[in-house]
Amino acid sequence: MSNHESVYINCEIGEEFTVPRRISIGFATILIVCALWYAATTGLGLIAPGRFPSPTETWSALIHISGRGYGGGDLAMHVYNSLRLVVMGFIFAIATGVPLGLLMGWSRRAEALINPIFLIIRPIPPLAWIPLAILWLGLGDAAKIMVIWFSAFVPSVINTYAGVRNIDRPVLEAAYMLGMPKIRFITEVLIPGASPMIFTGLRLSLQASWTTLVAAELVGAFYGLGRVLNVAQQDLYPGMILVGMIAVAILGWATTRLLGMAEMRALRWNTAALAAKG
Amino acid sequence: MGVIEFKNVNKVFGPRATGFRALDDINLEIRDKEFVAIVGPSGCGKTTCLRMVAGFEDATDGVVSVGGTPIKRPGPDRAVVFQQFALFPWKSVYDNIDLGLRNLNVSRADREARIDAILDLMNLKQYAKHFPHQLSGGMQQRVAIARAYVLDPDVLLMDEPFGALDAQTRVVMQEELVRLARKNPRTVLFITHAVEEAVYLADRVAIMTRAPGRIKEVLDVATIRNAENWDSYDKIEDVMDLESFVHLRTHIWRSLREEKAAQHA
Repeated sequence: MSNHESVYINCEIGEEFTVPRRISIGFATILIVCALWYAATTGLGLIAPGRFPSPTETWSALIHISGRGYGGGDLAMHVYNSLRLVVMGFIFAIATGVPLGLLMGWSRRAEALINPIFLIIRPIPPLAWIPLAILWLGLGDAAKIMVIWFSAFVPSVINTYAGVRNIDRPVLEAAYMLGMPKIRFITEVLIPGASPMIFTGLRLSLQASWTTLVAAELVGAFYGLGRVLNVAQQDLYPGMILVGMIAVAILGWATTRLLGMAEMRALRWNTAALAAKG
Repeated sequence: MGVIEFKNVNKVFGPRATGFRALDDINLEIRDKEFVAIVGPSGCGKTTCLRMVAGFEDATDGVVSVGGTPIKRPGPDRAVVFQQFALFPWKSVYDNIDLGLRNLNVSRADREARIDAILDLMNLKQYAKHFPHQLSGGMQQRVAIARAYVLDPDVLLMDEPFGALDAQTRVVMQEELVRLARKNPRTVLFITHAVEEAVYLADRVAIMTRAPGRIKEVLDVATIRNAENWDSYDKIEDVMDLESFVHLRTHIWRSLREEKAAQHA
């Protein structure tokens, strides 16, 4: 979806590209792909229009859904509904997952108590909850939020837990030595200490949220990008399918990017520390 | 008050009968404002002694007390300087030093004054806003010492504080610690395996045996230091050349070598 990781991991030795250079190379790549796409579908006719849409068909599908609407609403409405559910499910998941991860990382007793439940639930693919969620909560928002919560909850718990366990022991001992009140210990030691891993968990949670939402909407929904994909498939409308896919990709990229910016801000001390270590 | 006392202290890691016996019948009293160094072969339990005073470990038998009160848990009255510095990497130098004072509910004006004073004393003033990783190892350990000293603790516990530093930085830090300790004496328990360091810094040096650790001998350095006027020398190398220093150092070396020999026998 995005090459966010490359910000941190740059294995190739050599000169770093400047940002404008990077952007221009990126644009060139996209242009070339579009040109090849046009050539393969319209120009040379290598791919039948029924299998994969041409750029023109895709463009007209975009005009179609933006103007008249498709699958029960216009593009803005579908985007709004999908985005709303992802944000709600994601926030719900991390608001429960991160504190639980902190608790498990901190208290051996909590870990012993909760871990067995996790071992049972974890192997169940989040999408397998969809039928049960629909059975319980119907085709509306509640079922989707529940499924997103199931899928996004696990990565935020596990990474937060690992983050707490990764805090250097002497750093924790220094905190005990300084006689920290409990709340301050949590907010000023435990959370910042675990935050690099917490953010990894949030990123994975966000990606899981999008995957699950699209799947849940495919199975049954009144609005949303998954609904667009589903209806377009039934209508044998490849242009619209591609529009739905691209919309999901852009939204996924944009939300991940936002999270990445928050991470850069919150972890300035850490990114700089990593850079200092080389 | 800063009297540290070990009374018939045993420490076994694991089950009492079958576990690892780290310490065997430790008896040691460190007087108020006295600087005591413990030296010993690695794994002899000297760090365990310090960790018991800090409240990170319990004694299996016997009592460890500070100011007559048996130790139950860690606390800011017993400030620790760790070998790996253990600064909070997400806090600036200033905030690292400030945290302990905030926990003690010191007023803001008072905190600022005390932090300014300690930053000045440790030559850290221009680094107040830096993050720890932006500083060298020696600078980071200065911050850790400042973080401990600013609390004005009864007892200062230093666990091989200069062990991770290069030789030159180490010497500078040793001289600074002497300066600090003379200016503002605290009860100090200092763990090291560097013999010169122990003799240079401490009033008394306790020599430990290999595991299970026992205290083999306690040497009075202060009497000789005062008689020979070591403190009139600024530089550590001048002190280290004195016959009285060499004599003490050699004595401790021999004592430790016997331990090494016993280990191989």
